[in-house]
Amino acid sequence: MIGLHIDDVSHSFAGRVALDHLTVVIPPGQVTALIGLNGAGKTTAMRTLAGRLHPTAGQVRVLGHDPARLPPRIASRFGHLVDAPLVYPELTVAENLGCAARLHGAVKRDAALMASATVEAMGLASWRHRPARSLSMGNRQRLGIGSATLHRPSALILDEPTSALDPKGVVLVRELIRNLSAEGAAVLVSSHHLDEVARIADEIVVLHDGREIGRLEPGGTDLEQRFFAMVLDADVRATDARGRRRS
Amino acid sequence: MSSVSALAAALSVESLKLRRSLIARVAGLLLIVLVPTVSVGAVALARSPLAVGAASAKLAPYSTGDLVATHLLVCGQVLSIGSLFAAGFVLAWSFGREFESGSAGALFALTVPRATIALAKALVVLAWSGLCVLVTVALTLAASAAVAASAGASFAGAWSGAGIALASGLLGTGLALPFGWLATITRSQLGTVGCLVGVVALTQIVVLLGGGPWFPYAVPSLWTGMGGAASAAAIGLPHLLTAAAVTPVSLFLIVHSWRRLTNV
Repeated sequence: MIGLHIDDVSHSFAGRVALDHLTVVIPPGQVTALIGLNGAGKTTAMRTLAGRLHPTAGQVRVLGHDPARLPPRIASRFGHLVDAPLVYPELTVAENLGCAARLHGAVKRDAALMASATVEAMGLASWRHRPARSLSMGNRQRLGIGSATLHRPSALILDEPTSALDPKGVVLVRELIRNLSAEGAAVLVSSHHLDEVARIADEIVVLHDGREIGRLEPGGTDLEQRFFAMVLDADVRATDARGRRRS
Repeated sequence: MSSVSALAAALSVESLKLRRSLIARVAGLLLIVLVPTVSVGAVALARSPLAVGAASAKLAPYSTGDLVATHLLVCGQVLSIGSLFAAGFVLAWSFGREFESGSAGALFALTVPRATIALAKALVVLAWSGLCVLVTVALTLAASAAVAASAGASFAGAWSGAGIALASGLLGTGLALPFGWLATITRSQLGTVGCLVGVVALTQIVVLLGGGPWFPYAVPSLWTGMGGAASAAAIGLPHLLTAAAVTPVSLFLIVHSWRRLTNV
Protein backbone atom coordinates (compact mmCIF):
# COMPACT_ATOMS: atom_id res chain seq x y z
CA MET A 1 0.00 0.00 0.00
CA ILE A 2 1.22 3.51 -0.86
CA GLY A 3 1.96 5.48 2.29
CA LEU A 4 1.18 8.97 0.99
CA HIS A 5 -0.38 9.71 -2.37
CA ILE A 6 -1.15 13.05 -4.01
CA ASP A 7 -2.92 12.10 -7.21
CA ASP A 8 -3.30 14.80 -9.91
CA VAL A 9 -4.32 17.37 -7.33
CA SER A 10 -5.24 20.94 -8.23
CA HIS A 11 -6.42 23.67 -5.92
CA SER A 12 -7.19 27.37 -6.22
CA PHE A 13 -7.71 30.07 -3.61
CA ALA A 14 -10.10 32.74 -4.92
CA GLY A 15 -9.04 32.13 -8.52
CA ARG A 16 -5.32 31.95 -7.75
CA VAL A 17 -3.83 28.57 -8.61
CA ALA A 18 -2.04 27.08 -5.60
CA LEU A 19 -1.63 23.52 -6.91
CA ASP A 20 -1.69 22.52 -10.55
CA HIS A 21 -2.07 18.79 -11.34
CA LEU A 22 0.47 17.70 -8.72
CA THR A 23 1.21 14.01 -8.35
CA VAL A 24 3.51 12.63 -5.66
CA VAL A 25 3.66 8.98 -4.61
CA ILE A 26 5.56 8.02 -1.45
CA PRO A 27 5.87 4.29 -0.76
CA PRO A 28 6.66 2.89 2.71
CA GLY A 29 10.24 3.47 3.78
CA GLN A 30 10.82 6.45 1.50
CA VAL A 31 11.53 10.05 2.45
CA THR A 32 10.38 12.56 -0.15
CA ALA A 33 11.16 16.25 0.11
CA LEU A 34 9.12 19.07 -1.38
CA ILE A 35 11.21 22.11 -2.11
CA GLY A 36 10.28 25.42 -3.67
CA LEU A 37 10.21 29.14 -3.11
CA ASN A 38 7.66 30.77 -0.81
CA GLY A 39 4.18 30.36 -2.28
CA ALA A 40 5.21 27.39 -4.44
CA GLY A 41 2.42 25.23 -2.98
CA LYS A 42 4.34 23.04 -0.51
CA THR A 43 2.18 23.82 2.50
CA THR A 44 -1.03 23.64 0.45
CA ALA A 45 -0.06 20.16 -0.73
CA MET A 46 0.62 19.12 2.86
CA ARG A 47 -2.66 20.58 4.09
CA THR A 48 -4.57 18.48 1.57
CA LEU A 49 -2.69 15.39 2.81
CA ALA A 50 -3.61 16.21 6.42
CA GLY A 51 -7.28 16.41 5.42
CA ARG A 52 -7.40 20.11 6.25
CA LEU A 53 -8.21 21.22 2.72
CA HIS A 54 -10.41 19.55 0.10
CA PRO A 55 -8.60 19.92 -3.22
CA THR A 56 -10.57 21.44 -6.10
CA ALA A 57 -9.62 18.44 -8.27
CA GLY A 58 -7.78 15.16 -7.84
CA GLN A 59 -7.51 13.11 -4.71
CA VAL A 60 -5.18 12.49 -1.80
CA ARG A 61 -4.70 9.28 0.12
CA VAL A 62 -3.01 8.48 3.43
CA LEU A 63 -2.34 4.76 3.82
CA GLY A 64 -5.00 4.21 1.16
CA HIS A 65 -7.69 6.37 2.79
CA ASP A 66 -9.16 9.85 2.38
CA PRO A 67 -7.41 11.89 5.11
CA ALA A 68 -10.54 13.98 5.72
CA ARG A 69 -12.31 10.82 6.93
CA LEU A 70 -9.59 8.58 8.31
CA PRO A 71 -10.83 5.56 10.25
CA PRO A 72 -9.30 5.66 13.79
CA ARG A 73 -7.15 2.54 13.18
CA ILE A 74 -5.56 4.29 10.16
CA ALA A 75 -5.31 7.68 11.89
CA SER A 76 -3.37 6.01 14.72
CA ARG A 77 -0.63 5.30 12.12
CA PHE A 78 -0.50 8.84 10.72
CA GLY A 79 1.37 11.89 11.98
CA HIS A 80 1.56 15.43 10.68
CA LEU A 81 2.96 18.81 11.56
CA VAL A 82 1.93 21.53 9.13
CA ASP A 83 2.09 25.17 10.29
CA ALA A 84 1.11 25.15 13.98
CA PRO A 85 1.96 22.11 16.13
CA LEU A 86 -0.31 20.22 18.51
CA VAL A 87 1.08 22.24 21.41
CA TYR A 88 -0.77 24.38 23.95
CA PRO A 89 1.21 27.14 25.67
CA GLU A 90 -0.47 26.74 29.07
CA LEU A 91 0.43 23.04 29.34
CA THR A 92 3.84 21.76 30.36
CA VAL A 93 6.07 19.87 27.94
CA ALA A 94 5.12 16.52 29.54
CA GLU A 95 1.42 17.42 29.59
CA ASN A 96 1.49 18.44 25.93
CA LEU A 97 3.09 15.16 24.94
CA GLY A 98 0.67 13.23 27.17
CA CYS A 99 -2.28 14.96 25.48
CA ALA A 100 -0.86 14.25 22.03
CA ALA A 101 -0.44 10.57 22.96
CA ARG A 102 -4.06 10.37 24.18
CA LEU A 103 -5.32 11.99 20.96
CA HIS A 104 -3.20 9.53 18.96
CA GLY A 105 -5.10 6.74 20.71
CA ALA A 106 -2.92 5.76 23.69
CA VAL A 107 -4.58 4.79 26.96
CA LYS A 108 -3.70 6.92 29.99
CA ARG A 109 -0.82 4.80 31.34
CA ASP A 110 0.76 4.26 27.93
CA ALA A 111 0.39 7.99 27.19
CA ALA A 112 2.48 8.86 30.25
CA LEU A 113 5.19 6.39 29.21
CA MET A 114 5.18 7.67 25.62
CA ALA A 115 5.39 11.27 26.83
CA SER A 116 8.29 10.46 29.12
CA ALA A 117 10.20 8.62 26.37
CA THR A 118 9.61 11.46 23.91
CA VAL A 119 10.78 14.09 26.40
CA GLU A 120 14.10 12.24 26.54
CA ALA A 121 14.28 11.47 22.82
CA MET A 122 13.67 15.10 21.82
CA GLY A 123 16.22 16.43 24.32
CA LEU A 124 13.59 18.25 26.38
CA ALA A 125 14.26 16.67 29.80
CA SER A 126 15.35 19.98 31.37
CA TRP A 127 12.03 21.57 30.38
CA ARG A 128 9.77 18.61 31.20
CA HIS A 129 7.67 20.52 33.75
CA ARG A 130 7.91 23.94 32.14
CA PRO A 131 4.89 25.41 30.32
CA ALA A 132 5.30 25.36 26.55
CA ARG A 133 4.91 29.14 26.44
CA SER A 134 8.27 29.50 28.20
CA LEU A 135 10.18 27.44 25.61
CA SER A 136 12.47 28.90 22.98
CA MET A 137 11.31 28.69 19.36
CA GLY A 138 13.64 25.75 18.74
CA ASN A 139 12.50 23.76 21.75
CA ARG A 140 8.90 24.51 20.87
CA GLN A 141 9.57 23.03 17.44
CA ARG A 142 11.15 19.96 19.02
CA LEU A 143 8.02 19.60 21.17
CA GLY A 144 5.77 19.91 18.11
CA ILE A 145 7.74 17.26 16.23
CA GLY A 146 7.63 15.04 19.33
CA SER A 147 3.83 15.44 19.48
CA ALA A 148 3.49 14.47 15.82
CA THR A 149 5.77 11.43 15.97
CA LEU A 150 5.54 9.94 19.48
CA HIS A 151 3.23 7.17 18.23
CA ARG A 152 5.82 6.07 15.60
CA PRO A 153 3.58 6.72 12.56
CA SER A 154 3.68 4.71 9.32
CA ALA A 155 2.93 7.87 7.31
CA LEU A 156 4.30 11.24 8.31
CA ILE A 157 4.28 14.76 6.91
CA LEU A 158 6.46 17.51 8.36
CA ASP A 159 6.40 21.08 7.07
CA GLU A 160 9.74 22.86 7.57
CA PRO A 161 10.70 20.59 10.50
CA THR A 162 14.13 22.14 11.04
CA SER A 163 13.38 25.84 10.40
CA ALA A 164 13.99 27.00 13.99
CA LEU A 165 16.34 24.27 15.21
CA ASP A 166 19.94 24.60 16.32
CA PRO A 167 22.49 22.24 14.70
CA LYS A 168 22.00 19.65 17.46
CA GLY A 169 18.24 19.76 16.94
CA VAL A 170 18.69 19.41 13.17
CA VAL A 171 20.74 16.24 13.67
CA LEU A 172 18.18 14.92 16.16
CA VAL A 173 15.26 15.45 13.75
CA ARG A 174 17.26 14.05 10.82
CA GLU A 175 17.92 10.86 12.81
CA LEU A 176 14.27 10.66 13.86
CA ILE A 177 13.12 10.89 10.24
CA ARG A 178 15.68 8.35 9.02
CA ASN A 179 14.75 5.96 11.86
CA LEU A 180 11.04 6.21 11.11
CA SER A 181 11.78 5.64 7.45
CA ALA A 182 13.90 2.60 8.32
CA GLU A 183 10.90 1.28 10.30
CA GLY A 184 8.87 1.53 7.08
CA ALA A 185 7.28 4.96 7.35
CA ALA A 186 6.44 7.00 4.24
CA VAL A 187 7.67 10.50 5.01
CA LEU A 188 7.02 13.80 3.23
CA VAL A 189 9.02 16.82 4.38
CA SER A 190 9.25 20.34 3.06
CA SER A 191 12.25 22.53 3.60
CA HIS A 192 14.14 25.59 2.46
CA HIS A 193 17.39 24.06 3.73
CA LEU A 194 18.63 22.33 0.61
CA ASP A 195 21.70 20.86 2.33
CA GLU A 196 19.43 19.33 4.94
CA VAL A 197 17.06 17.98 2.30
CA ALA A 198 20.00 16.39 0.49
CA ARG A 199 20.90 14.52 3.69
CA ILE A 200 17.48 13.10 4.57
CA ALA A 201 15.53 12.70 1.33
CA ASP A 202 15.48 9.75 -1.06
CA GLU A 203 13.67 11.88 -3.62
CA ILE A 204 13.31 15.64 -4.10
CA VAL A 205 10.28 17.15 -5.83
CA VAL A 206 10.66 20.76 -6.98
CA LEU A 207 7.49 22.85 -6.88
CA HIS A 208 7.07 26.23 -8.54
CA ASP A 209 3.81 28.16 -8.89
CA GLY A 210 1.88 25.10 -7.70
CA ARG A 211 3.38 22.81 -10.37
CA GLU A 212 6.02 20.13 -10.20
CA ILE A 213 8.82 21.41 -12.42
CA GLY A 214 11.14 18.48 -11.93
CA ARG A 215 12.90 16.15 -9.55
CA LEU A 216 16.43 16.37 -8.19
CA GLU A 217 18.83 13.65 -7.15
CA PRO A 218 19.67 14.18 -3.46
CA GLY A 219 23.40 13.51 -3.93
CA GLY A 220 26.01 15.99 -5.10
CA THR A 221 27.19 19.33 -3.83
CA ASP A 222 25.47 21.57 -6.35
CA LEU A 223 21.86 21.04 -5.25
CA GLU A 224 21.22 24.75 -4.78
CA GLN A 225 22.57 25.53 -8.25
CA ARG A 226 20.44 22.80 -9.87
CA PHE A 227 17.36 24.01 -7.96
CA PHE A 228 17.72 27.62 -9.12
CA ALA A 229 18.46 26.55 -12.70
CA MET A 230 15.25 24.53 -12.70
CA VAL A 231 13.20 27.43 -11.26
CA LEU A 232 14.72 29.90 -13.75
CA ASP A 233 14.02 27.57 -16.65
CA ALA A 234 10.38 27.20 -15.51
CA ASP A 235 10.00 30.99 -15.30
CA VAL A 236 11.47 31.47 -18.80
CA ARG A 237 9.17 28.83 -20.26
CA ALA A 238 6.14 30.37 -18.52
CA THR A 239 7.03 33.82 -19.85
CA ASP A 240 7.46 32.42 -23.39
CA ALA A 241 4.13 30.65 -23.18
CA ARG A 242 2.36 33.85 -22.08
CA GLY A 243 4.03 35.74 -24.94
CA ARG A 244 2.86 33.14 -27.50
CA ARG A 245 -0.72 33.33 -26.16
CA ARG A 246 -0.74 37.16 -26.50
CA SER A 247 0.60 37.06 -30.08
CA MET B 1 -10.36 2.84 19.56
CA SER B 2 -14.06 2.84 20.46
CA SER B 3 -16.20 5.99 20.42
CA VAL B 4 -16.44 5.87 24.21
CA SER B 5 -12.68 5.66 24.74
CA ALA B 6 -12.15 8.40 22.14
CA LEU B 7 -14.57 10.65 24.05
CA ALA B 8 -12.87 9.74 27.34
CA ALA B 9 -9.46 10.71 25.88
CA ALA B 10 -10.84 13.99 24.49
CA LEU B 11 -12.54 14.80 27.81
CA SER B 12 -9.29 14.17 29.65
CA VAL B 13 -7.34 16.48 27.31
CA GLU B 14 -9.95 19.24 27.26
CA SER B 15 -10.46 19.21 31.04
CA LEU B 16 -6.69 19.58 31.52
CA LYS B 17 -6.65 22.55 29.12
CA LEU B 18 -9.59 24.11 30.99
CA ARG B 19 -7.91 23.60 34.38
CA ARG B 20 -4.84 25.45 33.10
CA SER B 21 -6.90 28.23 31.49
CA LEU B 22 -6.53 31.71 32.96
CA ILE B 23 -9.87 32.87 31.55
CA ALA B 24 -11.71 29.91 33.14
CA ARG B 25 -10.06 30.63 36.50
CA VAL B 26 -10.96 34.32 36.38
CA ALA B 27 -14.52 33.76 35.11
CA GLY B 28 -15.16 31.02 37.70
CA LEU B 29 -13.73 33.09 40.53
CA LEU B 30 -15.79 36.14 39.56
CA LEU B 31 -18.96 34.06 39.48
CA ILE B 32 -18.30 32.29 42.76
CA VAL B 33 -17.20 35.39 44.69
CA LEU B 34 -19.22 38.20 43.15
CA VAL B 35 -22.66 36.60 42.90
CA PRO B 36 -23.03 35.63 46.61
CA THR B 37 -21.55 39.01 47.61
CA VAL B 38 -23.96 40.92 45.37
CA SER B 39 -26.91 38.74 46.44
CA VAL B 40 -26.44 39.40 50.16
CA GLY B 41 -25.10 42.94 49.68
CA ALA B 42 -27.93 44.17 47.44
CA VAL B 43 -30.60 42.98 49.89
CA ALA B 44 -28.73 44.48 52.85
CA LEU B 45 -28.44 47.79 50.99
CA ALA B 46 -32.11 47.73 49.95
CA ARG B 47 -33.12 47.29 53.59
CA SER B 48 -30.78 49.88 55.02
CA PRO B 49 -31.32 53.61 55.35
CA LEU B 50 -28.25 54.11 53.10
CA ALA B 51 -30.29 53.30 49.97
CA VAL B 52 -31.61 56.62 48.74
CA GLY B 53 -32.51 58.14 45.39
CA ALA B 54 -31.96 56.06 42.25
CA ALA B 55 -30.38 53.18 44.17
CA SER B 56 -33.38 52.99 46.46
CA ALA B 57 -35.77 52.83 43.49
CA LYS B 58 -33.68 50.14 41.76
CA LEU B 59 -33.40 48.06 44.92
CA ALA B 60 -37.02 48.53 46.01
CA PRO B 61 -38.10 44.99 44.98
CA TYR B 62 -35.58 43.60 47.51
CA SER B 63 -36.57 45.84 50.40
CA THR B 64 -39.42 43.67 51.66
CA GLY B 65 -40.28 39.98 51.84
CA ASP B 66 -38.58 36.91 53.22
CA LEU B 67 -34.86 37.67 53.72
CA VAL B 68 -33.39 34.35 52.57
CA ALA B 69 -35.80 34.02 49.64
CA THR B 70 -34.81 37.52 48.50
CA HIS B 71 -31.08 36.67 48.71
CA LEU B 72 -31.68 33.68 46.47
CA LEU B 73 -33.94 35.68 44.16
CA VAL B 74 -31.06 38.12 43.54
CA CYS B 75 -28.67 35.20 43.17
CA GLY B 76 -30.87 33.65 40.46
CA GLN B 77 -31.24 36.96 38.65
CA VAL B 78 -27.50 37.67 38.59
CA LEU B 79 -26.68 34.05 37.69
CA SER B 80 -29.07 34.13 34.72
CA ILE B 81 -26.74 36.65 33.04
CA GLY B 82 -23.50 35.86 34.90
CA SER B 83 -23.41 32.19 33.91
CA LEU B 84 -24.17 33.14 30.28
CA PHE B 85 -21.23 35.54 30.23
CA ALA B 86 -18.84 33.23 32.10
CA ALA B 87 -19.58 30.17 29.97
CA GLY B 88 -19.78 32.30 26.81
CA PHE B 89 -16.32 33.79 27.36
CA VAL B 90 -14.80 30.39 28.10
CA LEU B 91 -16.47 28.81 25.05
CA ALA B 92 -15.21 31.68 22.86
CA TRP B 93 -11.72 30.97 24.17
CA SER B 94 -11.92 27.18 23.98
CA PHE B 95 -13.10 27.04 20.36
CA GLY B 96 -11.74 30.33 18.97
CA ARG B 97 -8.18 29.89 20.23
CA GLU B 98 -7.72 26.72 18.20
CA PHE B 99 -8.24 28.72 15.00
CA GLU B 100 -6.33 31.82 16.05
CA SER B 101 -3.27 29.84 17.18
CA GLY B 102 -3.49 27.44 14.24
CA SER B 103 -3.74 24.36 16.48
CA ALA B 104 -7.14 23.52 14.90
CA GLY B 105 -5.17 22.16 11.94
CA ALA B 106 -3.24 19.83 14.24
CA LEU B 107 -6.56 18.35 15.43
CA PHE B 108 -7.22 16.84 11.98
CA ALA B 109 -6.58 13.18 11.12
CA LEU B 110 -6.06 12.13 14.73
CA THR B 111 -7.20 8.82 16.20
CA VAL B 112 -9.67 10.80 18.30
CA PRO B 113 -11.90 12.45 15.65
CA ARG B 114 -12.10 16.25 15.72
CA ALA B 115 -15.91 16.11 16.10
CA THR B 116 -15.36 14.12 19.32
CA ILE B 117 -12.83 16.70 20.48
CA ALA B 118 -15.39 19.47 19.80
CA LEU B 119 -18.07 17.56 21.73
CA ALA B 120 -15.62 17.15 24.63
CA LYS B 121 -14.86 20.87 24.58
CA ALA B 122 -18.56 21.70 24.89
CA LEU B 123 -19.22 19.09 27.59
CA VAL B 124 -16.23 20.18 29.66
CA VAL B 125 -17.29 23.84 29.63
CA LEU B 126 -20.89 22.88 30.43
CA ALA B 127 -19.71 20.77 33.37
CA TRP B 128 -17.33 23.49 34.58
CA SER B 129 -19.99 26.21 34.38
CA GLY B 130 -22.60 23.93 35.99
CA LEU B 131 -20.20 23.27 38.88
CA CYS B 132 -19.52 27.00 39.25
CA VAL B 133 -23.28 27.67 39.38
CA LEU B 134 -23.73 24.94 42.01
CA VAL B 135 -20.91 26.33 44.18
CA THR B 136 -22.24 29.88 43.74
CA VAL B 137 -25.73 28.90 44.91
CA ALA B 138 -24.27 26.90 47.81
CA LEU B 139 -22.13 29.85 48.92
CA THR B 140 -25.10 32.20 48.62
CA LEU B 141 -27.14 29.78 50.74
CA ALA B 142 -24.37 29.66 53.34
CA ALA B 143 -23.98 33.44 53.44
CA SER B 144 -27.74 33.87 53.57
CA ALA B 145 -28.03 31.35 56.40
CA ALA B 146 -25.40 33.26 58.40
CA VAL B 147 -27.21 36.59 57.83
CA ALA B 148 -30.60 35.03 58.63
CA ALA B 149 -29.27 33.45 61.84
CA SER B 150 -27.84 36.75 63.06
CA ALA B 151 -31.08 38.56 62.19
CA GLY B 152 -33.28 35.83 63.64
CA ALA B 153 -35.02 35.42 60.27
CA SER B 154 -36.66 32.26 58.94
CA PHE B 155 -34.73 29.93 56.58
CA ALA B 156 -37.89 28.29 55.24
CA GLY B 157 -37.85 29.94 51.81
CA ALA B 158 -34.29 28.86 51.09
CA TRP B 159 -34.72 25.61 49.18
CA SER B 160 -37.26 26.66 46.56
CA GLY B 161 -35.25 29.86 45.98
CA ALA B 162 -32.05 27.84 45.67
CA GLY B 163 -33.71 25.53 43.16
CA ILE B 164 -34.81 28.45 40.98
CA ALA B 165 -31.37 30.10 41.22
CA LEU B 166 -29.70 26.81 40.27
CA ALA B 167 -32.05 26.28 37.32
CA SER B 168 -31.57 29.87 36.18
CA GLY B 169 -27.77 29.51 36.26
CA LEU B 170 -27.89 26.20 34.42
CA LEU B 171 -30.19 27.68 31.77
CA GLY B 172 -27.72 30.56 31.33
CA THR B 173 -24.91 28.00 30.95
CA GLY B 174 -26.80 26.10 28.27
CA LEU B 175 -27.66 29.31 26.44
CA ALA B 176 -23.93 30.05 26.16
CA LEU B 177 -23.32 26.95 24.04
CA PRO B 178 -24.21 28.60 20.68
CA PHE B 179 -21.15 30.80 21.22
CA GLY B 180 -18.95 27.72 20.92
CA TRP B 181 -20.52 27.18 17.51
CA LEU B 182 -20.15 30.87 16.64
CA ALA B 183 -16.46 30.73 17.56
CA THR B 184 -16.14 27.81 15.12
CA ILE B 185 -17.89 29.72 12.35
CA THR B 186 -16.17 33.08 12.93
CA ARG B 187 -12.82 31.45 13.93
CA SER B 188 -12.38 34.41 16.27
CA GLN B 189 -12.50 34.77 20.07
CA LEU B 190 -13.11 38.49 20.00
CA GLY B 191 -15.76 38.21 17.27
CA THR B 192 -17.59 35.65 19.42
CA VAL B 193 -17.43 37.84 22.52
CA GLY B 194 -18.81 40.69 20.39
CA CYS B 195 -21.73 38.45 19.37
CA LEU B 196 -22.33 37.57 23.02
CA VAL B 197 -22.55 41.23 24.01
CA GLY B 198 -24.78 41.86 20.99
CA VAL B 199 -27.18 39.07 21.97
CA VAL B 200 -27.48 40.46 25.51
CA ALA B 201 -28.26 43.92 24.06
CA LEU B 202 -30.76 42.39 21.63
CA THR B 203 -32.43 40.62 24.54
CA GLN B 204 -33.14 43.97 26.19
CA ILE B 205 -34.81 45.21 23.00
CA VAL B 206 -36.86 42.04 22.54
CA VAL B 207 -38.07 42.26 26.15
CA LEU B 208 -39.01 45.93 25.66
CA LEU B 209 -41.04 44.93 22.60
CA GLY B 210 -42.84 42.23 24.60
CA GLY B 211 -41.36 39.17 22.90
CA GLY B 212 -39.33 38.07 25.92
CA PRO B 213 -41.16 34.86 26.89
CA TRP B 214 -40.40 33.28 23.50
CA PHE B 215 -36.86 34.63 23.20
CA PRO B 216 -34.65 31.99 24.88
CA TYR B 217 -32.04 34.50 26.10
CA ALA B 218 -34.71 36.51 27.96
CA VAL B 219 -36.38 33.53 29.65
CA PRO B 220 -34.04 32.94 32.66
CA SER B 221 -34.00 36.63 33.63
CA LEU B 222 -37.74 37.06 33.24
CA TRP B 223 -38.41 33.82 35.11
CA THR B 224 -36.38 35.00 38.09
CA GLY B 225 -38.35 38.25 38.19
CA MET B 226 -35.98 40.76 36.62
CA GLY B 227 -38.86 42.13 34.58
CA GLY B 228 -41.24 42.19 37.54
CA ALA B 229 -43.73 39.75 39.02
CA ALA B 230 -46.11 39.89 36.04
CA SER B 231 -43.35 39.02 33.54
CA ALA B 232 -42.16 36.20 35.80
CA ALA B 233 -45.70 34.79 35.96
CA ALA B 234 -45.87 34.81 32.15
CA ILE B 235 -43.00 32.31 31.93
CA GLY B 236 -44.33 28.78 31.84
CA LEU B 237 -42.93 25.34 31.16
CA PRO B 238 -43.04 25.73 27.33
CA HIS B 239 -40.89 28.86 27.55
CA LEU B 240 -38.40 27.17 29.87
CA LEU B 241 -38.24 24.11 27.62
CA THR B 242 -37.64 26.33 24.58
CA ALA B 243 -34.68 27.96 26.34
CA ALA B 244 -33.38 24.55 27.46
CA ALA B 245 -33.65 23.19 23.91
CA VAL B 246 -30.91 25.60 22.80
CA THR B 247 -28.33 23.31 24.47
CA PRO B 248 -28.87 20.07 22.49
CA VAL B 249 -29.37 22.01 19.24
CA SER B 250 -26.07 23.81 19.81
CA LEU B 251 -24.28 20.57 20.65
CA PHE B 252 -25.47 19.13 17.35
CA LEU B 253 -24.37 22.25 15.44
CA ILE B 254 -20.91 22.23 17.05
CA VAL B 255 -20.28 18.55 16.32
CA HIS B 256 -21.65 18.89 12.78
CA SER B 257 -19.51 21.97 12.06
CA TRP B 258 -16.33 20.34 13.33
CA ARG B 259 -17.03 17.16 11.36
CA ARG B 260 -17.37 19.21 8.16
CA LEU B 261 -14.54 21.62 8.94
CA THR B 262 -12.23 22.40 6.03
CA ASN B 263 -9.74 25.00 4.79
CA VAL B 264 -7.97 25.08 8.15
